[in-house]
Amino acid sequence: MEEALILIGGSQGSGIETSSLILSSALVRAGYGVLSNREYYSNIVGRHSYIHLRASSSQLPRSLTYPVDLVAALDAESVFFHFDDVRRGGFLVYDRDLSKTKLRGIISMEPESRARVEGKLKAIGAGEELGSLALALEGLGVRSIGLSYGSIISSFAEKLGIARAEAQRFRSSIVVGAAAGLLGLRQEALDYAIDRRFGRRPALSKANKLLTALVAEEVKSLVGSPLRLDEPSIGEEELLLVSGNDAVGMGKIVGGLRYQAYYPITPATDESVLHETYEALRVEGESLGSIVVLQTEDEIAAVNSAIGAALAGARASTSTSGPGFSLMVEGLGWAGMNETPLVITYYQRGGPSTGLPTRGSQSDLLFSLFASHGEFPRAVISSGDHLEAFYDAIWAFNIAEKYQVPVIHLLDKFLANMVTSMPLPDWSKIRIERGSTLFEANGSVKRFDKSSVVSPRPVIGSGAVIWYTGDEHNEWGHITEDPVNRLEMYEKRYRKLQLMDAEIPEEERAIYYSQGDEDFLLVGWGSTKGPALDALRELREEGLAGAFLQLKVFEPFPARLVSKVISSFKPDRVIAVEANIGAQAAKVVAMHTGHVIRKHALKWTGRPIYTMELVQAVKRLLAGSEREVMSYGK
Amino acid sequence: MASRFRTDVWIDWCPGCGDFGIVAAMQKAFAELNIEPEKLAVVSGIGCSGKTPHFIYANGVHTLHGRGIAFATGIKLANPELTVVVSGGDGDLLGIGVAHFVALGRRNLDITVILHNNQVYGLTKGQASPTLKKGDKPKSLPAPNIQDPVNPIALAVSSGYTFVARGYAMWVDHLKELIKAAIAHRGSALVEVLQPCVTYNDLYTGDYYKDRLYKLEEEPGWDPVVRSPAELDEKAARAIVKSMEWGERIPVGVFFVNPLAETYEERIAKRNPGFSITPPARQPISRNGGEPIISKEEFRKLFSDYIIIVRG
Repeated sequence: MEEALILIGGSQGSGIETSSLILSSALVRAGYGVLSNREYYSNIVGRHSYIHLRASSSQLPRSLTYPVDLVAALDAESVFFHFDDVRRGGFLVYDRDLSKTKLRGIISMEPESRARVEGKLKAIGAGEELGSLALALEGLGVRSIGLSYGSIISSFAEKLGIARAEAQRFRSSIVVGAAAGLLGLRQEALDYAIDRRFGRRPALSKANKLLTALVAEEVKSLVGSPLRLDEPSIGEEELLLVSGNDAVGMGKIVGGLRYQAYYPITPATDESVLHETYEALRVEGESLGSIVVLQTEDEIAAVNSAIGAALAGARASTSTSGPGFSLMVEGLGWAGMNETPLVITYYQRGGPSTGLPTRGSQSDLLFSLFASHGEFPRAVISSGDHLEAFYDAIWAFNIAEKYQVPVIHLLDKFLANMVTSMPLPDWSKIRIERGSTLFEANGSVKRFDKSSVVSPRPVIGSGAVIWYTGDEHNEWGHITEDPVNRLEMYEKRYRKLQLMDAEIPEEERAIYYSQGDEDFLLVGWGSTKGPALDALRELREEGLAGAFLQLKVFEPFPARLVSKVISSFKPDRVIAVEANIGAQAAKVVAMHTGHVIRKHALKWTGRPIYTMELVQAVKRLLAGSEREVMSYGK
Repeated sequence: MASRFRTDVWIDWCPGCGDFGIVAAMQKAFAELNIEPEKLAVVSGIGCSGKTPHFIYANGVHTLHGRGIAFATGIKLANPELTVVVSGGDGDLLGIGVAHFVALGRRNLDITVILHNNQVYGLTKGQASPTLKKGDKPKSLPAPNIQDPVNPIALAVSSGYTFVARGYAMWVDHLKELIKAAIAHRGSALVEVLQPCVTYNDLYTGDYYKDRLYKLEEEPGWDPVVRSPAELDEKAARAIVKSMEWGERIPVGVFFVNPLAETYEERIAKRNPGFSITPPARQPISRNGGEPIISKEEFRKLFSDYIIIVRG
């Protein structure tokens, strides 16, 4: 097979994240490209979670889709949830010991989900016991592989010479072994992945290797390796295996981050934890610098302390999600008023309010563009994938310092939590640009000198004496309500928007993917890029040629380029693809260009947009529908 | 010379405002400590006290309501070589910004907080601040206050401030000495300043304070300094008890000093030694005119845990 789609399910806290990491590392080690998404509840232990993984022999995957080739379940709930996610001819690996488990016995499943699953069981003629479901699936062409996890654990415990209760800790490796067996993954790759995860604890490494090998052999003896992937042809010698949080975190570090403040919030915090882990920037005993990472008392302190650090000359940022950004909004305005280079990394999740705290969305684009009272320039950058997120994290700092504006780097939970095999960034593409930041200055300085749109910015500690205030101020940074000064100072700030628009190439702010022969256009942004490009590839195979316009920078908006691209298509052949209900990016396009995108493919269930549902949505939109709502995924 | 710290911005506080005394004491303290204006940051929030930085010749950051400490925290951590002083009101620091007030104590970061306490929100015409006592009715209130006050000294001690003092705005030289001691102290320092609001507060006036205030340092046997870890609990408790004294006699002076606690800067330096060598804000982040300071090879080593060597 050219590629494999795998879903691993288990309760929160049962180890499936580690399982997924090991499986992904092993696949990458063996030469394959990997992309995986983690779905989980706002819960520590007990609720259903799963990993949805795509492995490819020919490319680095950029989207996920259904159905999958394999569902490997650690518990009964995962089978009940995902049995209809497997393709005909695909595989279900489950715990035979749970055959008598009834759907109604699964108390962790929410009543709405249970009712729906009941309906699905009835529809395929399955009883409410897991065993009956496995049998019914066989009738639908899904091969159910029932393993006795209990017996596996017993024989593993015996072989390793440990107590059975202790052996239970390794239970999540059963699904790794099962997937490895079906994929025909070589043991060396698996061992490498396990050592990578547990290398510092040899006993754990040994146990995991033994158990995965045991299960892989058992599965192979039952069905062989029917999901064996083709020889890989990707050709990378080394790859990073990173989440979106990791990619941004690494980008910021390379970009010179020296101060990161945060208040814990899903799905942003992992980035700050990475900064804390690497705060001493120690390479072979030598320190390349030091990052201050401050866990603050709230998001208000996070943003405002980051502004303070920026005033002192550190590249400073904070990372958050919707509820945290809501609290940061007043600080954002202060940064705008005081022309302070501040980077806010904003991982969108499902709102409003607490919303879907562990699920994704693209519903805060308009909020990030308009947040805070008054008018001031800002930059809003969104990244389409992990590698973009890495470069954009650096770009955000450069824009912030060059133009002395707050920059919002807009991401989402999808990207934050998806783990991908990413090529090492190209160092020739990385520049550090600090604009007119001054680290040496002398005495009184007009911080807001009106003779240029961007005034030289001596940092506090440079030797200058400067003033800042959130009130309207004169060139010295002292309060004034004088109308003529207001006229000029307000416009001085605002003109930075024009300056950014003039200086940052539009081609970097909107990316047009076209072969020149298309008759329809998808317009998307952020993590819709991957599914949009993959959907277009599938549609082209069916004779429908479409182009993709990725909106990347929303402020300053690349209006001329976007207008040119959109006007080259018939109005009824332009489709906005977004993970929200309001087609927010389409509204921004209309605001800046006058082009109204009338066709929308939307999703707001909190789950990623999957390629196959986007393909269907686009077909229906091209056939005349105005709005398609996607909703696949548990 | 204190005049070195004056600016030519006209001070628009009400004639007779206690803030004049506070600014004068700050300017004198800075001068006597020989602080360079270029190495000093005065950070404020919103309200009458918020304007303080504009009247002082030093780096001035007039921030958002309640957020002075948050801004100051970032400035100090990015460049610990700076002297950072926060000047804020009672509403600013103990109402809207009280989370930051408490957090600073927990960190014991080397910042001095000067709290202007006049029991009212002056700039919005005299509403009750968090330090106004229950039952008080200054002339600006339509009815007596029905919220209990917070005790700044007790809150500071229990939050972890390691230098806690109270001064009086009209006793400029005494206040100056307290501010000097607070700045010289390494760690989070609070100087609460009792201050008449001549326009809106007709209860806590100059006359009210005149006969009640007494100096702790003149009390026989008063020793606020923690001299060994064993003394900590007792000295903290005594400071809190002393801070409850409010009536015929009101104490000013130093309530509590704990020179033994580790500062936040020391805590960071322990796990991140580079921090104490070059301030983060002053570290080079690029070389050769724009290359990142971290080379690709160093990136590979730094993040080796994330890199997989492919053996396809």
